[in-house]
Amino acid sequence: MLYVVGVDIGSTQAKAVALDERAQIVGQALLDIEMNMGSAAQEVFDQVLRVAGLSESEIAFTVATGYGRYRVTFGDAQVTEISCHARGATAEFPRTRTVLDIGGQDTKAIRVGDAGEVMDFAMNDKCAAGTGRFLGAASFALELPLSDLGPLAMQATAPVKITTTCTVFAESEIIGHLAKGHRAEDVLAGMHYSIATRCASLVRRVGLTPEITFTGGVSRNAAMVTLLQQVLGMPLNVSAQGHFMGAIGAALYALDHARAGHPRARAEEVPS
Amino acid sequence: MAETPSGVLRVDARAAGQRLVNQWLANIHTAPARGQPVAYIFVMGNAIEILRSFGFEMVFPEINSLQTGVRKAAPDFLAKAEDYGFSPDVCSYVKADVGLMLSNMEHPSGTHMPTPDLAIASSLCNVYIKWAEIWERRFGTPAFVLDIPGKRFESWRPLPGTPQYEADKRWVEGQLRDLIARCEDITGKKFDPDRLAEVETHVNEMVRLWTEILQLNQHRPAPYNSMLDGLTYIGVLNAWRGTPEGVEYMRLLRDEVADKIARGEGRVPNERFRLIFSGTPCYVNMRRLVELFESHGGVFAASDYLTYAAGGLDSSGLFYDPSRPLESLAEVTTLASQLGLSNHFFSHHTLARQVKEYAADGIVYHGIKSCRTVATSMADNREYVTSRYGLPTLYIESDLIDPRYWSDAQIKNRVDAFFEVLEQRSLLDGGQ
Repeated sequence: MLYVVGVDIGSTQAKAVALDERAQIVGQALLDIEMNMGSAAQEVFDQVLRVAGLSESEIAFTVATGYGRYRVTFGDAQVTEISCHARGATAEFPRTRTVLDIGGQDTKAIRVGDAGEVMDFAMNDKCAAGTGRFLGAASFALELPLSDLGPLAMQATAPVKITTTCTVFAESEIIGHLAKGHRAEDVLAGMHYSIATRCASLVRRVGLTPEITFTGGVSRNAAMVTLLQQVLGMPLNVSAQGHFMGAIGAALYALDHARAGHPRARAEEVPS
Repeated sequence: MAETPSGVLRVDARAAGQRLVNQWLANIHTAPARGQPVAYIFVMGNAIEILRSFGFEMVFPEINSLQTGVRKAAPDFLAKAEDYGFSPDVCSYVKADVGLMLSNMEHPSGTHMPTPDLAIASSLCNVYIKWAEIWERRFGTPAFVLDIPGKRFESWRPLPGTPQYEADKRWVEGQLRDLIARCEDITGKKFDPDRLAEVETHVNEMVRLWTEILQLNQHRPAPYNSMLDGLTYIGVLNAWRGTPEGVEYMRLLRDEVADKIARGEGRVPNERFRLIFSGTPCYVNMRRLVELFESHGGVFAASDYLTYAAGGLDSSGLFYDPSRPLESLAEVTTLASQLGLSNHFFSHHTLARQVKEYAADGIVYHGIKSCRTVATSMADNREYVTSRYGLPTLYIESDLIDPRYWSDAQIKNRVDAFFEVLEQRSLLDGGQ
């Protein structure tokens, strides 16, 4: 049996997925990145092998993606997360024409063609407004775990309007609203709405073509899914594996290489 | 020295260009001591031909500012202006110029920038006039503002013979006559139409050669990179416009580029993708940006910057008629300006034409954080070329010279993804 691995080293988390030759997931792993992207990459790779019950020698090809893709010294090729999210999304939802990926510090809107190829993309620039980091600020200010934010926001009855788009100032705005007596769920609903409108604008920039598939860590947040559907006026495809979509796309690229018989070629670490 | 196919050795254009830039800076440095009047002018809409005829030495504050970026000195100059109270959002060229004023006019090139005897602003960039007002207050030199009518609507340029064009031309000519009177007052010299005609003859020859140089890059592989080599070429073109030295340089350059083509040499050893650059360069990191593209085999075969930065005088086919120098200057200034920055909202037609002429695979738009003017039209422009021609485009953003707006990892990520798009496209089209 032939196996491949996709490793996605993002700004906050490292994800890895192992596939067999039928493109079935045989293992996946996720960990937070603390200081060193290189060691996080190695750790998540080791972890996915353990989960899948495989040894490194059984891996025919590894593709690395994400900002830390050049830190994956055991990677055989690097592909940007733009191509990988598009690949992963169209593999699960073949009628996808637009992909929205909200990650830790990057949000991307990607337009894909009929063959699943990337036609155009737009990303947030020089600013983490409208990214997962915005929710991170809320989590810090409210002293709540990230996973509680969505469910709590769903209970809002009178959402507040968050005016700042700056992730740093968002924290003080949240504290200000709480000090005025607004409930945490109403403040959170405002935060989610603010992100949803920023992301919707990015999606419109590449053309709002259905079907839209929502990927990335924030796609696990039910409040965000609901609000985005509302703002965009159409349903979104959301995968149970949305968080791993970049790694899945990378693994699918790895499978292309393996099937084409490309030999492994460890990447040289490129300083960034 | 370089060897031509015929075996004749001659000075290479790079060395000649460097020598001319050094010579120009030395001339500026020594102008006050030599009693030569100094004019501050912008790259677009500057009436340099009249100034040249009166013997002014030209200082281009835009070039001074971009040079602080090229020489990696911009952060100090920008910080001085910001410490003084200028907002970080203000055009970084303006801030670097203010920084220069706050540095006793000592430019990082080693040139002591003289203060102006005459300053000309034009209506071709909305910042120019306010910038010139800073000079007025700082140096006490009244600015002469040339109001050049821009293009009004898409596809509508007042053409010769139409009443609108005649009115525009008279409007510009009247201002040029006022400028001449001002120059006569400052220099104590009488206007010499023959000398103006001579300058115009040199400009004509430079524009003819420049047009040829731009067209030579339609060759595959492209002999030079518009956004690296081209930036040097245009610097010399501006500083030496209307001079025999400028003509000689352009001729040398044209021959050198033609020789490269004859030898089959391209700027990129394995040219894979031909691109067009739209917008203004990031002078502080241009080498790095070009390197990111060239590492994927991508070359900027053409750029609209090489039109705008030449004041609209490039392949527009506009030439002076030296037999009636002043009228002709008014006519060309009126028409060329409409091909310059005032045309940027409608530049999609020019870009679409360039895509065809240069067999481009995609367009790269570079937005400037401290200049919303040049970035304003880019979204519509992109939409037009992608929806109408299905052409891959990339939008990246940094600044003219402010390195704080350069995020290497983000830009590299976008460039890598853009080449993945081009590769996928190439595979779907049957490969290259």
